[in-house]
Amino acid sequence: MTTNILLSGVGGQGIITASRVLAEAAMLSGFHVKKSEIHGMSQRGGSVESHVRFSPDGLVFSPTIPFGEVDVLMGFELLEALRAIPNTKPDALVLVEDRVIVPSSVTCGPFEYPADVLDQLYASGRNVRVVDAFKIACSLGEPRAANIVLLGAASSSLVIDAQAWEGAIRRAVKAKALDVNLKAFEAGVAAGRSG
Amino acid sequence: MSEKAILSGNEAVARGAWEAGATFGSGYPGTPSSEILPALTALGDCYTEWAPNEKCALESAAGASLAGARCLVTMKHVGLNVAADPFFTLSYVGVNGGLVLLDADDPAMHSSQNEQDNRHFARAAKVPVLEPSDSQEAKDFTRLAFEISEQFDTPVMVRTLTRVAHSEGLVELGERTVPTRECGPVRDARKYVMIPAYARARRVFMQERTAKLTAFAEETEINRIEPGSPDIGIITSSVAYQYAREAAPEASFLKLGMTWPLPPGKIRQFAGSVKKLYVVEELDPYLRDQVLALGLAVEELPESLQIGELSPERVAAGLRGGDVAPASNDLPPRPPVLCAGCPHRGVFITLRKLKAFVTGDIGCYTLGTLAPLSALDTCLCMGAGIGEAHGIEMACGEKGKTVAVIGDSTFVHSGITGLVNIAYNGGSSVVVILDNGTTAMTGGQEHPGTGVTLSGRPGRLLDIPGICRAAGIPNVVTVDPRNLEQVESTLKQALESPEAWVIVARCPCILKARPDAFPRVIDEDKCIRCQVCVRIGCPAISTEATDDPRKPQPRIDPVLCTGCNLCAQVCPVSAIGEMEGGACEV
Repeated sequence: MTTNILLSGVGGQGIITASRVLAEAAMLSGFHVKKSEIHGMSQRGGSVESHVRFSPDGLVFSPTIPFGEVDVLMGFELLEALRAIPNTKPDALVLVEDRVIVPSSVTCGPFEYPADVLDQLYASGRNVRVVDAFKIACSLGEPRAANIVLLGAASSSLVIDAQAWEGAIRRAVKAKALDVNLKAFEAGVAAGRSG
Repeated sequence: MSEKAILSGNEAVARGAWEAGATFGSGYPGTPSSEILPALTALGDCYTEWAPNEKCALESAAGASLAGARCLVTMKHVGLNVAADPFFTLSYVGVNGGLVLLDADDPAMHSSQNEQDNRHFARAAKVPVLEPSDSQEAKDFTRLAFEISEQFDTPVMVRTLTRVAHSEGLVELGERTVPTRECGPVRDARKYVMIPAYARARRVFMQERTAKLTAFAEETEINRIEPGSPDIGIITSSVAYQYAREAAPEASFLKLGMTWPLPPGKIRQFAGSVKKLYVVEELDPYLRDQVLALGLAVEELPESLQIGELSPERVAAGLRGGDVAPASNDLPPRPPVLCAGCPHRGVFITLRKLKAFVTGDIGCYTLGTLAPLSALDTCLCMGAGIGEAHGIEMACGEKGKTVAVIGDSTFVHSGITGLVNIAYNGGSSVVVILDNGTTAMTGGQEHPGTGVTLSGRPGRLLDIPGICRAAGIPNVVTVDPRNLEQVESTLKQALESPEAWVIVARCPCILKARPDAFPRVIDEDKCIRCQVCVRIGCPAISTEATDDPRKPQPRIDPVLCTGCNLCAQVCPVSAIGEMEGGACEV
């Protein structure tokens, strides 16, 4: 059985780093794993997706998740979570950060940011849970660690060893940011349990 | 058990070259190939460098190969257009030390100006092509490519696609083995001097080489039959293989790792063993046409599958005779934008204000074409903006006075010759070099204008204003693009002048040097909600609805804001100031 996790958000939110940690942790837990990032030409501000797939038995073929097969969606921004919803299984777990980043098509274009994104997410019938990752990261003094908070919240739903997570974080983040990221992960685990 | 690691396709190519004992690597950054040379540099024991462009990179590698080194050259698909001249003749010359050209194609144009299937290029140049389908094969095939190169005296192309280059998977690591070959130039004019008399002999050699490579293609394990149901057979390569395995797990497969030259015997044998034969590949019907040319019957797939990236569901639909419609919803799109605090924004705001005709170029500043900046009128290929500006002016005279914008890395890549052309032929275009001290779009690589080499050592710093003066441009000035007044007065002067100008707009990329500045904040009592700050297109500025639908309230996101102060400069009522404290205080 392949587990399919989709991380969706905005360039600059640390999605690539979070998916890197996730893939490394899956490898350290002994799974076959593939990961694929999809982003456009800008480094900041555009939509970013990362697909992570791992399997305990046999090979993962496609590096991207087939449409409608996502088991866990991690949404780093409300609109991007809503955009990704059609990709998920009907009973998927959706962890979403309650944060709005307004796209240029709204600020300077004809579009409107939907007012009821959370309602639409709940109406999708998926198992939707809101995680205050950004606020938690701010309380730790590092708003950029929100990505690892959200990952911590997702961890309790994934069959990955606790030591594997720590090992993967150690590999993926710089030494001076390690401490705050480990704390962010723990805070995320706690938030995931209480959420 | 051997050590395993999760590597991207790009990291795996670097690892393969390293294990093969490569001692020379060169290239020019281009998404999706940009991460290979930094990864090879990090592995050590191999001299690597960024070249000003792909032609220079391949020519240097031709020399290093002649001297006996195993060489890796990396570029994206459009980079091979730049290097096409040496590429075609290098196929005649062949190699001494193995020479592998890594070409990364970009289906769906995630960050490219065209969709180009470079297998045609390799076939036209008679250079063998290997197509890995994941990270493990990216490493193995790169290693194998060096052996093929030396065994058959030919450069070898390893062709990846965005999904191979930028996806990651488990890779078994191997040891590095360096061939024992003495380094030194080899004198052999008949092999290395392609005057027609010598080239004619090499042309015959190439024909014999192709025959030998075809025999190799028949027996190599990387062209393998994976037997399954005899009802459906799929010939496929690269990442299309992975999608097809997922879409039709029951099928029989001919998985081609080497796609030029093809193995006709193996293809015929496979075709004879299945009832229905399909060819599944990304981009052009390159394999399909060659299979048809063997006189075999191939099931038709919808032509729409030739556009963009494939996926498991698109391949599954294709095998049923259809395609998947692109997902559509009424959600607001999130197009790419210049970063908050990007120094190029100041130049684009001013160009829009002056209503200048702007010939653009390739880099993240190409985003200056999108609303609300809407300040870029052309984008063709690297360096083309300067040539286009000159052409417009020469065709239209005074009415054609145009502004070309080009990044610092692109200027070095292929802008210099265009500038020499303007000076030599007496043009009066205005060229703005958007100098942010890096190759920003591809992730911030060094180049001659940054004065730092790929390995981080100081290199000779290219004096960009100096080279413009030396080319013969009479007016060369440097401005700070964050100072809107300075940018505007300089641009006006240049546009009114009968001479050619180069304006170097110099300020570091915001991702490279974030200034120590507090975020800006809007004083909502003073704000008249005129939307002027909104129209600078900064992603940190958004709006909130008010009673008047034409006058929403602008807001600045303190986490995204870098304090560049452009919005404060355009505000007519001085309602924008500094926020004390920082992003986490809100």
